[in-house]
Amino acid sequence: MAKQASASSLIFDPVFKNNPIALQILGICSALAVTTKLSTSVTMSIAVILVTAFSSAGVALIRDRIPSSIRIIVQMTIIASLVILVDQVLKAFAFSLSKELSVFVGLIITNCIVMGRAEGFAMQNTVRDSFLDGIGNGLGYGFILIVVGFFRELFGSGKLFGIELLKLQSEGGWYEPNGLLLLSPSAFFIIGMAIWVIRTFYPDQVEEA
Amino acid sequence: MQAENRDSLANTFIVATVLCLVCSFLVSAAALGLKERQNRNVTLDRKSNLLQVVGFTPEQIAEGGGIEELFEKRFEVKIIDLETGKEAVEQVDEAVSAAGKDLGDDIADVLANYDQVWASKSKKEPVADEIPSGEDLAGIKYREKYSHVYVMKDDDGKKVSKYVFPVRGKGLWSMMKGYLAVEPDFQTIAGLTFYEQAETPGLGGEVMNPSWKAKWKEKKIYKGDEVAIKVVKGTGSGEYQVDGLSGATITSNGVSSMLEYWLGPEGFMPFINSQNSKTKTTSNLPSLKKGGSNG
Repeated sequence: MAKQASASSLIFDPVFKNNPIALQILGICSALAVTTKLSTSVTMSIAVILVTAFSSAGVALIRDRIPSSIRIIVQMTIIASLVILVDQVLKAFAFSLSKELSVFVGLIITNCIVMGRAEGFAMQNTVRDSFLDGIGNGLGYGFILIVVGFFRELFGSGKLFGIELLKLQSEGGWYEPNGLLLLSPSAFFIIGMAIWVIRTFYPDQVEEA
Repeated sequence: MQAENRDSLANTFIVATVLCLVCSFLVSAAALGLKERQNRNVTLDRKSNLLQVVGFTPEQIAEGGGIEELFEKRFEVKIIDLETGKEAVEQVDEAVSAAGKDLGDDIADVLANYDQVWASKSKKEPVADEIPSGEDLAGIKYREKYSHVYVMKDDDGKKVSKYVFPVRGKGLWSMMKGYLAVEPDFQTIAGLTFYEQAETPGLGGEVMNPSWKAKWKEKKIYKGDEVAIKVVKGTGSGEYQVDGLSGATITSNGVSSMLEYWLGPEGFMPFINSQNSKTKTTSNLPSLKKGGSNG
């Protein structure tokens, strides 16, 4: 790569201009699964940021050594090891959150964003750039997750971070929760609307019909 | 680094080997280094659930010196043979070793380390029985032969104040694992809680909702020797019915069947009978017969 990208563009471009979920439509399945609550969304975001950043850096570090015939397996091995590390650390230090996230931490391995950055970026770039790119894409993923988690928890169960904001009718309040928001398909609607909003500001993202 | 030798056979092997060694070292180091902490988390979580199911609030737990201390003070852990209802610590030790696992040297270790879910999942003859199809109400396929029972003592540590049975059964997505606390009359429910479940959040996941869990208190279990307690659709009436979870029929039914199984003759009924017959002379508690034996 001839041009040296600036750190801020590496980190912040993937949040709005080139969001992995909203533009590349990657990593959707975990975005549906873990966003019923904000606390799990945030934990999942942090986990993905860490895994993407360190796996990209790891791949970039040995990119000149990786034989092309086994490069995908090498990337997978690095990613998988990091995911297991994150899972173990969560189980040791944030037990109740790891219980809620259950299998989805393990499934970061299959998150296309992580793999996509390792193969698409880290294989050609320096360790520093790849690390920042990993953080950026993790942030882009996390941004959407937190937006979705915010709406789903607020309108689905009347809470944010488990703190009651809208008093539910079932507990003597006024708010009738929207049950759809607790089901996975609702995340599609919110992601769709997020894409709409982002593309209103960045019209060049609109695909030709 | 020269690009030519990077794709060579030798380099491929070197990279693969070194990478695998480094990664496996990292992973094993993390797994081993954090294992103790993780196990402590799991036991602490179980104990905290046991304390909650018998009605301790987080404030009371803190006042009582924390989870460990309060549990130690108020609970007695037992292992029983589900078939006979008798205490069976030695038998468990033997059976589990026969199934290929070591529980430790003294009785305290056996009591703490025995894992009945493991026993059921192992499907091994010494520790578990296959449940004939059609009788598997809880959806667990194999029933362990031995189960924990937690006995909660009074403040002064003399009288039994509650019994807690581990129960589990299939909901819509997941195996729901929890604890059922009953009063010493074995007829009144003191509480129900789940420490592990993955039902739909907001629908079936509401089994964790404190206000739903509170509905179990004071409900009755047996009518004659039948398990009569049920989760019903909509609003329950009377002491044998608990309100269903709206939008979660299968989870609700799962909870009903789970209790029917674990409180029935294949579950804790033999234990309950043996306890009742002990106290028969001093009280007029209903004696429950083993289902089916009375025609």
